[in-house]
Amino acid sequence: MTTALRDFIKNPTAAELELVARYGMQPEDARRERAFLAFAETGLPHRRMEGWKWTDFKAALKALETPAAASAKDPLPDDGALVFRFTPKGFEAPAKLPDGIRMVVQPGVQAFPGAEDVPMGALAAALAGGGKRPATLAFEITSSEAPRLHFVFEGAGEASFARIVFLVRSGASLTLTESYLGGAGLTASVLEFDLERGAKLNRTIFQRGGAGEALAVTGIAHLGAEAEMTQTTLAFGAKVARMETRVVHQASGSKLNLNAAYLSGKGFHADITTNVRHGAPSCVTRQLTKGAVLDGGTGVFQGKFFVPRKTGQHTDADMQHQALLLEDGAQVFAKPELEIYADDVECAHGNTCGALDDAQMFYLRQRGIPETQARAMLTEAFIAEALGMADEAVRDVLLAEAQNWLSS
Amino acid sequence: MRPMLKITDLSATVGEDSEAKTILNGLSLDVPAGEVHAIMGPNGAGKSTLSYVLTGRSGYEVTGGSATLNGEDILGMDPEERAAKGMFLSFQYPVEIPGVPVMTFVRTAMNAQRKARGEAEISAPDFIKKSRDVAKMLNLDAEMLKRPVNVGFSGGEKKRLEIYQMMMLEPKFLILDETDSGLDIDALKTVADGVNAMRDPSRGMLVITHYQRLLDYIKPDKVHVLAKGRIIKTGEADLALRLEKEGYDGVLGEAA
Ligand SMILES: Nc1ncnc2c1ncn2[C@@H]1O[C@H](COP(=O)(O)OP(=O)(O)OP(=O)(O)O)[C@@H](O)[C@H]1O
Ligand SMILES: [Mg+2]
Repeated sequence: MTTALRDFIKNPTAAELELVARYGMQPEDARRERAFLAFAETGLPHRRMEGWKWTDFKAALKALETPAAASAKDPLPDDGALVFRFTPKGFEAPAKLPDGIRMVVQPGVQAFPGAEDVPMGALAAALAGGGKRPATLAFEITSSEAPRLHFVFEGAGEASFARIVFLVRSGASLTLTESYLGGAGLTASVLEFDLERGAKLNRTIFQRGGAGEALAVTGIAHLGAEAEMTQTTLAFGAKVARMETRVVHQASGSKLNLNAAYLSGKGFHADITTNVRHGAPSCVTRQLTKGAVLDGGTGVFQGKFFVPRKTGQHTDADMQHQALLLEDGAQVFAKPELEIYADDVECAHGNTCGALDDAQMFYLRQRGIPETQARAMLTEAFIAEALGMADEAVRDVLLAEAQNWLSS
Repeated sequence: MRPMLKITDLSATVGEDSEAKTILNGLSLDVPAGEVHAIMGPNGAGKSTLSYVLTGRSGYEVTGGSATLNGEDILGMDPEERAAKGMFLSFQYPVEIPGVPVMTFVRTAMNAQRKARGEAEISAPDFIKKSRDVAKMLNLDAEMLKRPVNVGFSGGEKKRLEIYQMMMLEPKFLILDETDSGLDIDALKTVADGVNAMRDPSRGMLVITHYQRLLDYIKPDKVHVLAKGRIIKTGEADLALRLEKEGYDGVLGEAA
């Protein structure tokens, strides 16, 4: 078996061989195999692949190892929330869930169409499960007043994989928060959302990892008619970290707010990649990504809107990316892309990268605010705009986390 | 007695090395404590440059001379240090600071200055009370103070907000750079009342203006004419009147 498995990936690295071995230990499952093959097609994504030029997992992840640094503490509050915890070997969920939320722990792998577009998502789907951990954790939300679901990904180990799928029924709403706190050498999760007519999702992702870790969070959402999705990400990056979101407007009148902030310090890499398909008429997308990067840090923004000729009519979409290079030696790579074939649409985008405004800095300092504090104040105000739509239970905490980073 | 602000033979350039341009060219000026001095001068003479050099804005390089505040050399200090020593500039063009509400901004500034001076922070109730009193005096709407600094403010509102900040921070030495431009007639009076309320034997002021009108309200002890980077004429309050009547050419013709 092992020799056969070796052939999955061409010229595998040590890390890839370990991933193949992990796959070999999973129970046989045709869907799992399909997901793993989708990953194995390329192996760990690397700079010569389209969409991965600036974020190279193959180079960053030499072997699967438990990192030296422990998990960060979870800053997001869990009061009033239902808490689910994934660690490299374990999984915990509340003993009882209220009406309106149904959870199914599936031992088998659910089909994963489109896996080949998201190699790290495919890897998460193929390697999720084993021990106490569900191969696929499935939720059906039928209430519009369900409490917030809070997912925590933490704990020391070589690798942690998770796959979670949500079906939000017509008229129901889901408030979801995720904390990725590091601790594992590689964390890969894939979350899929199916929003029926008029369903609502408010998703918030907090990510903080160690400087030796690799992390990939893949989100895939399909929006039904009049459905509304709001997503807010605050990412501090890791050795390599990609937060990837793919959204399909599937039926008319759906609305998406897609916001993110990344803050990368020395030795950290944060990648925000998004792909939005306006596959139905009269859908709205508002996307705002803000970044702040220090010397030795890297930020990546790749955003794409795809608006097909027939189905994309009356699309209203706006993509903004603004990055602050706080010090010399900070790096930001940005690729905003609008691919529009429909003619009756309103699509706009903006992309700026630069230093803090000298005139603003001087104004603050003239009033007596010391340079470091002035810089933190301006940067915080700049970043805050991208966090304003997060669920109010966590919004202030996100801001405070950004503030702490800026003033330290 | 030594003057509060003493500028001696000050020269400064603006711009990068090869393109550096001399703007201040041997400027000397003394302002004793308790006095208000007006500076008038043609467009581009270097009035705003002087205010920036005195408050430490980057991009300006001092190439000669000195400036002291109460005997202390200020030119080597960071802008925030000068602010903590009491230097305040009411900007000709106040800067918009999106995302930072006025109250948060001023309180942060006040506490930063206090910290630098080794004083205790102002309590929230004291700050709010003070802010309310100052806003009332300047006819400022309380709602305006919750908005981000200068964002969406009209030209006149921005100038009034500069004076609000000045009265809140209670600086020792005030530089008003064309604070009167953009103000309507009533606002001009209100702002002048605010400035006059700050007049004090321990405080000095430099008032940069193009118009005699402001000086009707804020009576200067001296009027200086700044042209080509230096003070070329100094007189009493009536010099402003003469300038208004005869123009710079008329008055400067005899000096030049
Ligand atoms: N960054 C700069 N680069 C090049 N020249 C500059 C720069 N800043 C100012 N100057 C020039 O310096 C000169 C003095 O400018 P300053 O703003 O001090 O004039 P001012 O006396 O305040 O004029 P006004 O009455 O119009 O406000 C002007 O000729 C101006 O163009
Ligand atoms: Mg000027």
